[in-house]
Amino acid sequence: MSSPISSWEGASAIFTFADKPAVTVTIVVIAVALTVFAVWATIRHEKHSYNSPMTKK
Amino acid sequence: MEQATPTLEELNQLVQMSGTINMEIFYWWCIALMMVIHAGFLSYEIGASRLKNVLTAGVKNILAFAFIVPTFFFFGWFIYNGFAGGFVLDMEAASAALPWSQSMGPNISDNATGIFWGAFALFAATTASIMSGALIERTRMSAFIILAVILGSVVWILGAAWSWHPTGWLTTQWGFHDVGAAGCVHMIAGFFTLGVVINVGARIGRFNADGSANSITGHSMPMSVIGLMLVIVGFFGFLGGCIIFNVGGQWTNIYGQPATLSGFAFNTLMGFAGGLIGAYLTTREPFWMMSGGLIGIISVAPGLDVYYPPLAYVIGMGVAASAPLVHKFLVKRQIDDAVGAFAVHGFAGFAGLTLSGIFLSGYPNMGEGVPPVNFLGQFGGAVVLGLLGFIPGYLISLAMKKMGVLRVPAHAEERGLDLTEVPAQAYPEWALTGASTTYVSTDSASATLVVAEVKTV
Repeated sequence: MSSPISSWEGASAIFTFADKPAVTVTIVVIAVALTVFAVWATIRHEKHSYNSPMTKK
Repeated sequence: MEQATPTLEELNQLVQMSGTINMEIFYWWCIALMMVIHAGFLSYEIGASRLKNVLTAGVKNILAFAFIVPTFFFFGWFIYNGFAGGFVLDMEAASAALPWSQSMGPNISDNATGIFWGAFALFAATTASIMSGALIERTRMSAFIILAVILGSVVWILGAAWSWHPTGWLTTQWGFHDVGAAGCVHMIAGFFTLGVVINVGARIGRFNADGSANSITGHSMPMSVIGLMLVIVGFFGFLGGCIIFNVGGQWTNIYGQPATLSGFAFNTLMGFAGGLIGAYLTTREPFWMMSGGLIGIISVAPGLDVYYPPLAYVIGMGVAASAPLVHKFLVKRQIDDAVGAFAVHGFAGFAGLTLSGIFLSGYPNMGEGVPPVNFLGQFGGAVVLGLLGFIPGYLISLAMKKMGVLRVPAHAEERGLDLTEVPAQAYPEWALTGASTTYVSTDSASATLVVAEVKTV
């Protein structure tokens, strides 16, 4: 269950998995990894672009 | 039908919740207005690029925003809350800002954290946009993204923790006062940018072998000028985000001193007008005039809460009249800051803070033992923030330069980055006619050298 609450009475943090710190930490780690991946993908795209025969004409 | 009379406690709760929601609404629209800053920088930067680099400039600017928001969530907000005392982490103060904390997501008992985080994330994105324009047409996208994250989610927010936080050491120990973030946002971004620009080097064709300069004209000055006007519009959101909405009480500035939005309105507009006129007096051209308006606002930002408005007008005019000269000085040193970002943000922030040391001296600070605003505190704070921006910007970009990952290869720069990197065309009609022009002219209006490349498809 992703909901941290079963009733709105007395609810506070209501975001998904708010009651499961291990899950939120894991999601943060995945999000960071995806952000780093996006930078790596940019570097790869640049290398490919700069070495393309079209570009070097 | 009889209606129940609410109790005093119920009425009090009603007023309190109404105020809390008004506070959220106020910052929500400040965030929306700050988005306009980015629309402005996007237009400004695209206009300042030549036809062959238009889309790359746009992609770079958009990606800066895209990478700043998540990284500011991951660690930027944590830095602001944890490093007010210097370089030593105060974990107790920062724990609620950890990305997995109960405050860092929808929480119906916390109406403040998300909206303040959002406003600060937009400030962060502004710092990256300030740098973006200076580096156009020759910087690698990946290098720019990394530098933008370091500036926007680490460096400026560390400066904000020190100088733009009620318990920041520059304020509690030196009496530093900078309500409109001239130091932590503009100066740090400007000095960081200067460090990077030195290492990235000039665009091909910008300088001749004898050291003389050629002006490289962007493809659309009107687009740049409109962009700058949008930045000014967005600044009202930015400055709105610099004042604290206290439910049931008077506004305060970020240091907890009483302030009014009225005061901000007086001085923002007077500084803006002074800046426009000051830049007109020394340049006569719209690009610098609109930059001058921005310079005017930045230069009075430290004292927006207390300046006498005509004084703000004079300060804005003087600093904006001087900034183009600072830019010319950099050009003479063969430093190619493509949009004058250092002069507009770094110099204006520094000059504004130094002048505020003269004019704001004696204003009391909050908290026991905190010194009043004084010249040495303002000037010293400006020096600290300038170094905080310049040193990492210079050293990190130097390391990237040594590794060969800072600048695009010469053949890609000459051919144009749009053709090299972007699978789209900015102006397809140009492709159909086969015209791809690059204008390079000498700085002297009387001796204009125009180089036009015409390619057939």
